[in-house]
Amino acid sequence: MPEQAPGVRIDGLTVVYKTAAGELPAVRDISLTLEPGTITGIVGESGSGKSTLALSLLNAVQPPGRIAAGSVEIDGLGDVVGLRGEELRKARGRHVGYVFQAAQNSLNPLKTVGKQLLDLGRSHGVEDLRGLVREAKELLGRMGLDGARVLDSHQHELSGGMRQRVGIMLALVLNAHLVVLDEPTTALDMITQANILKIVREVHAERGLTTLVITHDIGVVAEVADRLAVMYGGRLVEQGPTREVLGAPSHPYTRGLIKAIPRLVGDIDEAQALPGRPPTLTSVPDQGCVFRDRCPLRMDVCDTVDPAAVPLGSRIVACHAVNVKEHA
Amino acid sequence: MTPIAKRLAGHLARGFVMILVVATISFFIINNIPGDPMAARFEELIEQGASPEAAAQSVKVLYGFQPDGSMWQQYLDYMAGLFRLDLGQSVTRPGTPVLDVLLEKAKWTVLPVLIGTLVSFLVGIILGVYAAIKRTGKLGDALAISGSLLHGIPQYVLAMLLVVIFATLIPILPADGPVDILFEPGFNAGYIGSLAEHAVLPVVTYALSAYGGWILAMKSSVVTVLGDDFILAAELRGMKRSIVFRYIARNAILPLFTILALSLGLLMGGAVFIEKIFNYPGLGLLLIDSVNERDYATMGGAFLLITGAIIIANIVADLFYTVIDPRVRSGEESA
Repeated sequence: MPEQAPGVRIDGLTVVYKTAAGELPAVRDISLTLEPGTITGIVGESGSGKSTLALSLLNAVQPPGRIAAGSVEIDGLGDVVGLRGEELRKARGRHVGYVFQAAQNSLNPLKTVGKQLLDLGRSHGVEDLRGLVREAKELLGRMGLDGARVLDSHQHELSGGMRQRVGIMLALVLNAHLVVLDEPTTALDMITQANILKIVREVHAERGLTTLVITHDIGVVAEVADRLAVMYGGRLVEQGPTREVLGAPSHPYTRGLIKAIPRLVGDIDEAQALPGRPPTLTSVPDQGCVFRDRCPLRMDVCDTVDPAAVPLGSRIVACHAVNVKEHA
Repeated sequence: MTPIAKRLAGHLARGFVMILVVATISFFIINNIPGDPMAARFEELIEQGASPEAAAQSVKVLYGFQPDGSMWQQYLDYMAGLFRLDLGQSVTRPGTPVLDVLLEKAKWTVLPVLIGTLVSFLVGIILGVYAAIKRTGKLGDALAISGSLLHGIPQYVLAMLLVVIFATLIPILPADGPVDILFEPGFNAGYIGSLAEHAVLPVVTYALSAYGGWILAMKSSVVTVLGDDFILAAELRGMKRSIVFRYIARNAILPLFTILALSLGLLMGGAVFIEKIFNYPGLGLLLIDSVNERDYATMGGAFLLITGAIIIANIVADLFYTVIDPRVRSGEESA
């Protein structure tokens, strides 16, 4: 069991889904490093492949999808793409905690949270079940809940925000040091959202975690993430330190996203929506840049050559136009 | 009052009203059916040379109410009888209360159908889970096909097939009634053994014909649950397969209990063809015979019995849910 935050190196990861039209990539050739002890945020629209990427970290891409290429190296675990059966099962929960979207029902509706906690403990051979319950109560208390009451409750007796905290508790209670949060605040009200993000930040710092947050909400990333990665059409188009990327976006897609956010002050019309719509699994072009149809900087080369992810100062950007400008 | 007691009281009250409604409807249908059995009997007696008074008296004894009273009066008599558990007297068995006839016949229906239904339920749901989990493989296909096939074969065809195979071609099992008449009825090994031996084919028939429905229903229920988020969540938390399996099974089986309760209620109606083929003197045969013989008192009684059984089965199913489904339970507490 790693007692400190593990690093994660995703290299050349491609995940394909089997469809009537053959195997189509939902995630294509993604390389991303999660530094130990950092919070990384992945933003992207629905269908950009961010949840598929998150599931890949647990080698849990659901059929008809499969990891077609690449590796996911996690310190203390090795390449999870190669893990199978019991080895894989034990890594899940123990090494990597996964927190589901708040609106999703991630608990068995027929059992109390406490009983499911015990099931979790037994699944991972925890001998001191009392200690596990104590730990769970402490975590819940830490997040502002009455631990004893929550453990005695069924899912339907808990609010969305409470369920989300239960999800975080279950992801951490086995002392996992890598935590993946998939849309942690979606479908929660603003106050609860802020609370959950505060908890994520605090727990991350206290327990020394490596955290990956998946969201479609740039605000969430701005709030918690040290580093930010932007996904579009199954590709990582830009990544770098959050402040830099948000302050001076390089990729035309990132720029478009930020321009589309309405400001609290000023004219509402200053916010400009990105023209066009994001590609789906079947409409992603199989060659050239995935963003070219909506791109204001489109060049001829974009139609034929997929832009490589190139380091650009402290960030990595995949765009022909940006590279040309930089190297001109 | 505890929530469950409150719920039970409400159900009993509703069930009581429903039984009264069914009794009323069946009373008026039977009394308005073409070929009034009482008038027919009355005329029969007159033809046999009885005086109108004697004939009327005889008919009254036979049916338990006044045939020439007003319909309203007859109805009140009938309902008053119900409260004393008096369903009138059987027409074809003069002097025998309908209730006694029903109870005597019920034992030949209830036990075989009950055992057959429970066995098929257990086997069907267990195999249904496998059929769902292995649905893309050969085993899943084979199970689903076996279910559709058995579900599609009419019960009486299945019964005759079993008789031909196991009683005629390979005569290892009897199909000639509920028990060997050589044995003295009572709690002795010979009698019980003979009962069991005779019950094998009918029970297997009931079980096989119900099995298809269970496996198909369970399969689709499991497939639905497999798509639920909490199953993926449990897997991503590294839960043991056996635990995830229990999560799936328990959630998937919930909706099937309603069907089980209903089919247990329906079993009171018996299976006419099966009882005919195996010569079981049960409720199904009784119902058919009473229709053929215009024994309307027995018919009405049988209808009431079936209705009552279904209403009770529903109440049991509902209370059962409050025990096994925490969502129903707490819904009741907050109500």
